[in-house]
Amino acid sequence: MSIIVDPVQESSFEKPDRSQLWYRRLLANQQFLLLLVTIAIFVFFAFNRHVFASAGEFGNNVTNFCTLVLLGVGETYVIATGGIDLSVGSTVSLSGVVGAIAMEHLAMHSELLVLSVGTVVCIGIGILVGVVNSALIHYARLVPFVATLVTWGAGAGMCLVLTGGAPIGQNSGAIALTVPKIWIFSYPALIIIAITFVAGLFLHLSRFGRFTFAVGSNAFAARAVGINVKRQVTSVYVLSGALAGITGMFVYMRLGSGAPTAGTGQELIAIAAVVIGGARLTGGSARLSGTVIAAWMITIVSSGLIFMNVSPNYNQVAVALLIATAATAQALRKSARQSS
Amino acid sequence: MSNTPEPSNLPTSTSGPSEHDGSGEGSASVLLSLRGISKNFGAVQAIQNVNLDVVDGQVTALIGDNGAGKSVLIKTISGIWAPSSGHIYWKGEEIHVHTPRNATDLGIATVYQDLALCDNLDIVQNMYLGREETKFSMLDEIKMELATNQLLKDLSVSTVKSVRQLVASLSGGQRQAIAVARAVMRDSQLVILDEPTAALGVSQTAQVLQLIRTLSSRGITVLVISHNLNDVFTVADRIAVMHLGTLCSSGPASNYDTASAVELITTGHSSRVPPSLLTSS
Amino acid sequence: MNKESLTSGAPTRTRWTGAKAVVAASLAVSSIALVGLGSASVAGASSSKKITIAFVVGAEADPFFISMNAGAQAEATKLHVDLIWQGNPSQYSPSTQIPVVQQVTTQLASAKPSALVLGPTDPKALEPYVKVAVKKHIPVFNVDSQDASLKNITGFVTGNNAQGGQAAADALAGAMGYTAGKTYNVVVGMTSPTATTNVLRYDGFKAEIAKKYPGIKILAEAYSQSSPTTANTNIQNWLTEYSQSSKTPLNGIFAIDGTNAEGAASALQAGGLACSKTVCGSGHVALVGYDAYSSNVSLLSSGVFAALIAQDPYQEGIDSVFNAYTYLKTGKLPKGVSKTTTLPNVTLLPTSNSTFLAKYTYATA
Repeated sequence: MSIIVDPVQESSFEKPDRSQLWYRRLLANQQFLLLLVTIAIFVFFAFNRHVFASAGEFGNNVTNFCTLVLLGVGETYVIATGGIDLSVGSTVSLSGVVGAIAMEHLAMHSELLVLSVGTVVCIGIGILVGVVNSALIHYARLVPFVATLVTWGAGAGMCLVLTGGAPIGQNSGAIALTVPKIWIFSYPALIIIAITFVAGLFLHLSRFGRFTFAVGSNAFAARAVGINVKRQVTSVYVLSGALAGITGMFVYMRLGSGAPTAGTGQELIAIAAVVIGGARLTGGSARLSGTVIAAWMITIVSSGLIFMNVSPNYNQVAVALLIATAATAQALRKSARQSS
Repeated sequence: MSNTPEPSNLPTSTSGPSEHDGSGEGSASVLLSLRGISKNFGAVQAIQNVNLDVVDGQVTALIGDNGAGKSVLIKTISGIWAPSSGHIYWKGEEIHVHTPRNATDLGIATVYQDLALCDNLDIVQNMYLGREETKFSMLDEIKMELATNQLLKDLSVSTVKSVRQLVASLSGGQRQAIAVARAVMRDSQLVILDEPTAALGVSQTAQVLQLIRTLSSRGITVLVISHNLNDVFTVADRIAVMHLGTLCSSGPASNYDTASAVELITTGHSSRVPPSLLTSS
Repeated sequence: MNKESLTSGAPTRTRWTGAKAVVAASLAVSSIALVGLGSASVAGASSSKKITIAFVVGAEADPFFISMNAGAQAEATKLHVDLIWQGNPSQYSPSTQIPVVQQVTTQLASAKPSALVLGPTDPKALEPYVKVAVKKHIPVFNVDSQDASLKNITGFVTGNNAQGGQAAADALAGAMGYTAGKTYNVVVGMTSPTATTNVLRYDGFKAEIAKKYPGIKILAEAYSQSSPTTANTNIQNWLTEYSQSSKTPLNGIFAIDGTNAEGAASALQAGGLACSKTVCGSGHVALVGYDAYSSNVSLLSSGVFAALIAQDPYQEGIDSVFNAYTYLKTGKLPKGVSKTTTLPNVTLLPTSNSTFLAKYTYATA
């Protein structure tokens, strides 16, 4: 590929053919590279500890993946608009806690009713946080980072106020539901995976998804073609909150109780998954497949390090290294594109 | 012309003296007319009592110095700002454009210099932004891609390699072409171009001017803002000059030359154009 | 309420527990009494100035400290002293605690506390502020955790974490039906490798095993970093690796704090490996946890926990207030009380009676 191009010539008719060999295109695809690296990590851990490749461990990883992936999905939408949502971790805790309180009050009713109400309450809390986030962004004119930092802190504080620091409730029936029933999948896990799949189609194949990218790419242009930018941004934060609410319910089911610290720190892991997945924090560009692969990668790295009996502090270092690598790959590809 | 009284005392498509100028377009109708449009931002009077007729199917060039009010005027037409006073008539009917969406729904498309396109989306995605074709409520990418290819071919925009490349990778001229093509795709009857050739090289400028002529030949009315008098005289059928927030002159391009245009831009008056083309203010 | 008690300075009493109506009534009564007594009471005011004890703890919203507060308040009410209770709601860190200590010790003379009870969040970082307080003639006591040097500290009441670890080892061995000559596989869920309470408990646990239960093998530790979700993940992974069909089936878990207890209990229930009240033998994993959160106590009665080791924050609160009160009155610690009081951790069992359980279950706000 010629690098010397006359700037005037560049725009005129036949440019040199830029289409590359298929394998080179594939290697330039960040999601594909990520998949390769994930497989490599899996193989490494599986060789060290054979149990890593067992169905039981896959089941554990699916459960852990499900506590992360929806946060990553919501965060992908938000980051595609050029925003960020720091509140999701707190929202997981808060929705779980409020849901647990509601379910405690219904304890004498049937299991199904209790869990259904709990789910609705959790999603409701998530939506509420999303609405507050967008209100802070639109009416208080806070940048998303600050707006969601506010709800992050408020949510964490609310959790302590509501629980007095201790977990609420004890629901063995809910715990039983998180046990794998269909091969390595529990029913809630299947629901979460289905939601992830639909969210992916929705982001990349629907007008809503297209508007999401347009708003993050150029809000002025989006407005000029008649997209309601405010409504789009609001929807995206509400979606992120609702997904965090669903995650809150799932974590409640895992623990059998609403713990005030259940989601602590999850927001940063979710953002890490989105960044490792190839999204641009400046907005307009993201792949949900990337987020999903990255969430799986982070999940197996955490599990693998536990098996290797490594301190969780190294887990953070490992995730940090993955972020650095992904961001560098992105920057290198960008500069390669500009110089070509 | 409905029952509104205002246009009767002002030049319109058929009654205005300026239309009987022998340029062969005397029977052309007015697509858009502005009557007494003023816009102030607080105490600052940006434009004052502007009366302008944009003739259907022709290329009108809006020229003027920096700060003369050209941008404010087109933003008023395209729904970014509401006028402080005055009336806008579209095909003889009074209209109120409160949002850009109102304007585009009517068929008024505005192509802003750099702000029109989403860099991170590809050409097809930009072309259809906000008007996506769907099938079973999913985006119908194939249909949109085929239509985009066809349209670019029709408009003789042949410089883009693939309609699936990101707009970020396009040159300035190509971006203008895509933005204009998008306006055409939306069946816009009036395309407003804001400085389409600013910051473009020689060959790209030629391409954009060619595109404007293509639009005109397809019966699309064009209102183009420009600094570059060469470009203006190359493509414009009609010229409108703004000076210090007022429209000081408008008429067929054949009545102006570079010297008179410069004089109008800088002073607001010129003895070299027929007095009928000057606005008394 | 804590703000009121800091700023009012007047001898109004702020209650922490009990009905609000009682507080309101007592406030009204005491103010009427003040007006009625007029100047006569002022003369005696300096000698009988009401004792104010300031408590500054780590994480105020933690059930552990909420229980401690309840104990301290009960004793303060009994002794007719005022209690100022302060602490960052959730962060157990010197950076948030230092400003609170500074604020308490730099009060004007009228609002100056008579004594300070401090649960330092760091053994070294708080020492300079203790010195400031002592210079201002405010005696300083430690509770639960201690300053690196007890030189400036008048008295120290704490739970015995090492003994708690030993008790956990005994309870776990009992739950697994320990028989000499057999091998038992155990994992330990911790919060971090360095947290002092974790280390003390774990050391006590290991020492007891070395001494009395040579058949117990500790296979691994995992760290939850205060997240019950992470604790759950850790235990899930251990249950998979040391599955009941493997060569090293897991027999027992020691969850070293409340967070790990919660995560381990749910992982065992999900894995179908939790003991029940009647059965806890092969094919089950015995679980001994720490901290008597009410949700954990309810799992004790269903048998998921073979035992819960509880600290006694309520008693720590009582003793601290009583020690400070006695010292202010007499210039000495109570008779028979040495400078460091170590309260034993108690073992709660599924068979414990409900009054006993209720006594040690941590309060919630």
